Amino acid sequence: MNSTSLHQFSTLTVVLLMLAFYGGTYLLTLGIRKKKEDADAFMVSNHRIGFGIGAASMTATWIWAASFYAAATSGYTYGVSGPIHYGLWGALMILFIYPFGRRFRKLAPNAHTLGELIHARHGSSSQLILALSNVLGSVISLMVNFTAAGALVSVLSPLSFQAGVIIAGVGVLLYTLWSGFRASVMTDFAQLVALMAIAVVIIPAVFFAMGGPSELVAGLDNLTVEQADFFSTEAILHQGAPFFVAVLAYAIGNQTISQRLFAVNEEHIKPTFLTATVGYGAIVIGLGMIGLMALTLGIEPLNGDMNNLIPQMVSGYLPPVFIALFFILVIGSLSSTADSDLSALSAIMMADVYGKNIARGKADPQRMLLVGRLTMIVATAVGIVFASFSLDILVMLVFVGALWGAIVFPVIASCFWDRITNAAFTTSVLVAMVMFCLARFEWLPLNGATGLLFELLASIGGGVIIGLMVFGFLGRAMGFLAGGLALAAMLIFATGFLREYTVLLASLTAYGTSTLVCVVMSLASRQEPFDFATIGERVGDYDQAHAEPTATPRRAAAPSSATLAGQR
Amino acid sequence: MTLLYGFYVLIWPALTLGVLVLICRAVLRDRRDAKREHRELV
Repeated sequence: MNSTSLHQFSTLTVVLLMLAFYGGTYLLTLGIRKKKEDADAFMVSNHRIGFGIGAASMTATWIWAASFYAAATSGYTYGVSGPIHYGLWGALMILFIYPFGRRFRKLAPNAHTLGELIHARHGSSSQLILALSNVLGSVISLMVNFTAAGALVSVLSPLSFQAGVIIAGVGVLLYTLWSGFRASVMTDFAQLVALMAIAVVIIPAVFFAMGGPSELVAGLDNLTVEQADFFSTEAILHQGAPFFVAVLAYAIGNQTISQRLFAVNEEHIKPTFLTATVGYGAIVIGLGMIGLMALTLGIEPLNGDMNNLIPQMVSGYLPPVFIALFFILVIGSLSSTADSDLSALSAIMMADVYGKNIARGKADPQRMLLVGRLTMIVATAVGIVFASFSLDILVMLVFVGALWGAIVFPVIASCFWDRITNAAFTTSVLVAMVMFCLARFEWLPLNGATGLLFELLASIGGGVIIGLMVFGFLGRAMGFLAGGLALAAMLIFATGFLREYTVLLASLTAYGTSTLVCVVMSLASRQEPFDFATIGERVGDYDQAHAEPTATPRRAAAPSSATLAGQR
Repeated sequence: MTLLYGFYVLIWPALTLGVLVLICRAVLRDRRDAKREHRELV
């Protein structure tokens, strides 16, 4: 089935499909639209989103267009275990953040961004580092999603790449602009239902159309030994391990997750995150299986482009209506992530930049809304321009990944350990970034003592990752034990070996360095231990504070406007 | 082997269907609760 082209829709069909999708989504948001939106709801709804909408939104947001393509590529490249090594770790990013998320929510029940919490804990420099990492991440995500729309439209129709990018960008902006986060979560539900229903149909349909389990087993002979091995070392080292390292970093560095964390009803955080973990894993691993099917059949990706694998399989084995469904599947996944990125960016600019650093506790909610909507328009324009010019974002992506890795320990430790200082937070992140660059771009030769030094730092990083993961679920003692064991194992097995894998070495170095610097500086500091109870008093709602200058708290956890004004 | 690989591929859409049903039922419940408490769903 090595076809030389994909099924082609007419321009009219693609325009009608996109019009139906974005038009339907826009109509859905009319039902929740208010003439006068309030700033808090624009950022996090009412902090009481139910389990169903919360889980749907979390899942839809975390699934972006690249998830399908990358999972299928992983299945095609690494064989039997490939889809697992993409989808499982991506799913665990949601799961492992939830115990820390509960702590964040407990400390600042009325926060809108994680940056606000860090601002209340440390001040502006630490908060702005976190906000910057969030902004860069969301802009990259926007660009990738718009690029996916352009690529899909140009591959399946006579329309140009730019036309696809612009339609997706404008479509997403139109339905998100007025109601912000509320529109995002509401449409996420509808988009997820469509996305899941299509995945449920498409995966078995392709599987049985290609010949079912017997054909798959017969095709296993086409696989290399590594590809046929479920415990393939190659798959673990090249796909699984770098993803595993990023599990905590992606979740901490992503405002779309924090935003949902602060929006969901506090009692429903656990089931919401658990359901999203299973939902994400099931869809992405399932679609990744199409890559494995292609591999067993000996199919070559069209034009050597791995992104063509799924459309090629659907096009080759199923009638055109399934291609249309696949089209909606990808447009739905990229739009749900793009609207979440717009909402995340607007919340960062509204709360972290305007609320905390410009208005300094005297924020005007109407002006905040204006800031939020202008942010969405500018972000969409930037996303469209970056996507249209197909800019090389690899370097940016590398830096953002490193920045996310470097902030993991300082952010988490700041919420549990009262001795972490602002100077320790900021310095540790900056030093970690320098050390990351030295290793990642091999500015220093990674041999001899230098190589050993970086492997030592990376080993600490490995211990920190395992330690934090275990700490989140099993507490401090088990966290220290697991972290210590992981460090020992890394020192024994990774020294003299890890330097060969510079991407992994550099990522782990960022974790290890920031932890080491942060801990040493905090222990050396004579600053008074921090009182965590003050965070809840410093982070609150903006509309309530503005409407009732001398108001009493709405509920025990909500701060009064007087304390809100003191958030400078 | 055939059965095992068939299960390995088809378990994921089955799980997806399960989560889809769970989420839809939960949203209906959320909607009912919101209506009863005279507040908006989001």
